[in-house]
Amino acid sequence: MATPPPPERGAHAGVVAYLATSAGVLLLMMVFGLLMRAEQARFVSLGAQWFYQLMTLHGAGMVGIAGIAGAAIMWHFLNQYVALSVRILYANLALFVAGVGLVLGAVLVGGFHGGWTFLYPLPSHSLGLWSDGAAAAFLAGMLVIGTGFLLLQLDVARAIVAGYGSFARALGWPQLFGRDDGRAPPPTVVASAMVTVVNLIALVVGASILAMMLVNLYFPEFRIDPMLAKAMIYFFGHVFINATIYMAVIAVYEILPRYTRRPWKANRVFLASWNCSTLMVMFIFPHHLLMDFAFPKWMLVMGHIIGYLNTVPILVVTGYGALTLVYRSGIAWDTGSRLLFLSMFGWAAGAMPAFIDGTIRVNYVMHNTLWVPGHFHTYLLLGMVAMAFGFMYYIAKPSAKTADGLADRAAFWAYVAGSLGFALAFLYAGKESVARRYAEHLPEWVPYDRIGTAFAVLIVAAALVFAVRFLARLAHARGDQARAGAPQGAAA
Amino acid sequence: MMFGRRALATTTACALLGGAVLWWGSDGFTAFTAESARRRAVLAEPRPLPAVALEDQDGRPLAFADYAGRRLAVEFIYTRCDTVCYSLGAAFRQIGERLPGGDPALLSISFDPAHDDPARLREYGERFGADGQRWRIARPRSGDDLAALLAAFGVVVIADEIGGFEHNAAIHLIGGDGRLRQISDLDAVDAFVAGLADDA
Amino acid sequence: MTAPPLRNRRLWLAVAAVFALLALPPARAWLEATMTRHMLVQMPLLVGLGFALGHRLPARLRNRLLARAGGPLACLTAASFAATYWMLPRALDAAAASAAADAAKFVTLPLLIGLPTGLAWRALGVIGRGFVWTNLVSMLLFAGWLYIAAPVRVCNSYLLDDQAQAGWWMIRIAAFIFAAWFAALFAGRRRGMMAMRGRRPAAPPRRAGLLPAAMPPFRMQ
Repeated sequence: MATPPPPERGAHAGVVAYLATSAGVLLLMMVFGLLMRAEQARFVSLGAQWFYQLMTLHGAGMVGIAGIAGAAIMWHFLNQYVALSVRILYANLALFVAGVGLVLGAVLVGGFHGGWTFLYPLPSHSLGLWSDGAAAAFLAGMLVIGTGFLLLQLDVARAIVAGYGSFARALGWPQLFGRDDGRAPPPTVVASAMVTVVNLIALVVGASILAMMLVNLYFPEFRIDPMLAKAMIYFFGHVFINATIYMAVIAVYEILPRYTRRPWKANRVFLASWNCSTLMVMFIFPHHLLMDFAFPKWMLVMGHIIGYLNTVPILVVTGYGALTLVYRSGIAWDTGSRLLFLSMFGWAAGAMPAFIDGTIRVNYVMHNTLWVPGHFHTYLLLGMVAMAFGFMYYIAKPSAKTADGLADRAAFWAYVAGSLGFALAFLYAGKESVARRYAEHLPEWVPYDRIGTAFAVLIVAAALVFAVRFLARLAHARGDQARAGAPQGAAA
Repeated sequence: MMFGRRALATTTACALLGGAVLWWGSDGFTAFTAESARRRAVLAEPRPLPAVALEDQDGRPLAFADYAGRRLAVEFIYTRCDTVCYSLGAAFRQIGERLPGGDPALLSISFDPAHDDPARLREYGERFGADGQRWRIARPRSGDDLAALLAAFGVVVIADEIGGFEHNAAIHLIGGDGRLRQISDLDAVDAFVAGLADDA
Repeated sequence: MTAPPLRNRRLWLAVAAVFALLALPPARAWLEATMTRHMLVQMPLLVGLGFALGHRLPARLRNRLLARAGGPLACLTAASFAATYWMLPRALDAAAASAAADAAKFVTLPLLIGLPTGLAWRALGVIGRGFVWTNLVSMLLFAGWLYIAAPVRVCNSYLLDDQAQAGWWMIRIAAFIFAAWFAALFAGRRRGMMAMRGRRPAAPPRRAGLLPAAMPPFRMQ
């Protein structure tokens, strides 16, 4: 019974750098988000231009930092199965910082505020509000960030092929389609392979449309089909942001088993769900286009159906897996394990509004309301970001016996309450048809904004505690100490 | 991939040399196509024209030297053309209407002399309202003349798949000194006319 | 890793033969008659000849040349600048119109693009090669769109239809390369482009991959 806690590998300095960057940028972007809500709530008056500049930064920054945090989690665990390149890890961070510099310059100096989705042809039609140079700096910044992630994914692809022979094996095809000999790759490898497949495709598409838009900016006679541009941008953006949560969920696969001392095996159902999602995640982006009647009908129908289907596999398999793992395990709850368990709920809860919004009839009236921000804030705040903070707690934990302080417990519950309240304020406002992306709201919308702002304050306060705790314990992140507390019943 | 001093030196050298070649090959990153290069070259340095023998729609002999001291706008056409030459014809007609008085003189030159005999040239001129004096339609007398003419102007004529030609259509302005000095888009008649008026 | 000399001699003969064939006036005229054949058949073949030379040099000679040249990055830099130059529509026009420019093309495409890339190819590593492939794909997609979307002819020597056709071919080729590269990832390293590094048999997957997730092998850094 008395198994000594297994030692757990500390983070590479590069991973620590990723996490510290994530914590810092995340907090800053949360403050920007809070300011946006406060502006709509009429607590502050920044003016529409600042609202949209903040919105652009908030969107681009959050997507980028979700990618960085997710990549840190994936890299940390995947590197224990295959040999990843440290140089590429740093190259990606350096390119990310350079890209962020360009984006910040474009927005803060150049006044670009065309939204992080840089939807064609908005960046090149600013009506004098920003220059072509500002738009170019923003697009180039995104291109630089994308190049960094492309390098990272190429390295992951190389390492997986070197370690497992092929992607087919890394995705467990021999076990999925043949006899399940129980020797399927671990969940971390399966998830990393899936993320790599979809991200490589998404990044190539993203780089192409960014390059096209850069040319169009200076040579407008080279026109882009706006429908094609929209499809390419949403394909890229949707796959990329989805991939961040598929990277971050590796933390759940790796850390919860350490707390419960029960292995998380990649069985056939698990493999099937990840392989299905590999395909489906690339075909669901049209659910952002359901309102575009000019889009080919088959694409909309495809988006509708696959959007429904994709809600199910990984989410259910992972959620169910997490429940069975934790059930009667006597798990020692601490802030890290709590956040990771919370992320399962957040992911599931966040997918539901998308499920509803994915219905064409509903989409016509809901898609341009705050319902959609409600959806992605639920699954990002309570899912993706909870995973990232959970990983930070885990990796910087000084020892298996370290107990949480009052501040950590309070921050956890403040984060749960804040995120729920914040997301519900969005969702309810969406149900009441409050338009999204409006700097100024009608008087009857303002009460929802005020409630949302209050909850946002709570989130920022909680995230501040999480971030400060992580940074204060940074020195422990690199050590190979045991971190997961022993479950009750397993004598420590 | 080790990155030593030698690697740094040669990579930098390659990048600098490569950048210089690109700069040279695109006239300082301004002319990426042969067409824009041709226009820039003519603007920078007006180009003398070869003494070629032409004949006009009435069979009269004609040479660029006949226009010495006068400005002359030149377009290249073929009379069977039913696409871009319509725009060319219309552009010349507009220039003629906006700048009455005979300056600049107008000359449409056919690059299909085998088919475009004087009768066909006359018919082409009538179609667009050429008066046969200020605006004349001409063809080179020999294949050599045609080749020299096209080379001097930088006009490339290629056969298309439906029995006609595609060519880089433009309005060419020859100064009073007999040199080709400006090449304009055929849909930029306004700018062309304004430039002529300023220049006069 | 040194290839047998006989094989090499045969390869060089083949390279020389293909080069001579391409340089024959009728072949030149035919291949340069349309933009698609010129850009997407003749020019890639010329690059490929240089690549084959550089790639198949005896390992020692190749490594010495590569070191002299300043390593893979310098080679790729040279190749990308040369490639950029020949992608200028103006350069293509010049090659179609003037024999001197065409001769320059016949020399520089193999020597400045193919050869350096071939020299650097093995040293690039899998990431470097993956980067080259993905870049090639985005560049082809991008240039393809450019040629389709251009409202005017970018080359005086070629028809507008021809230009659009060349654009569509670029997109098809990009899609094909990407699919093939991806299929190679799935098929594994015994075949495919990821595996161009040599004929060594694939090593068995690391044992770590066979352990349950909960207990990853402990490894000191």
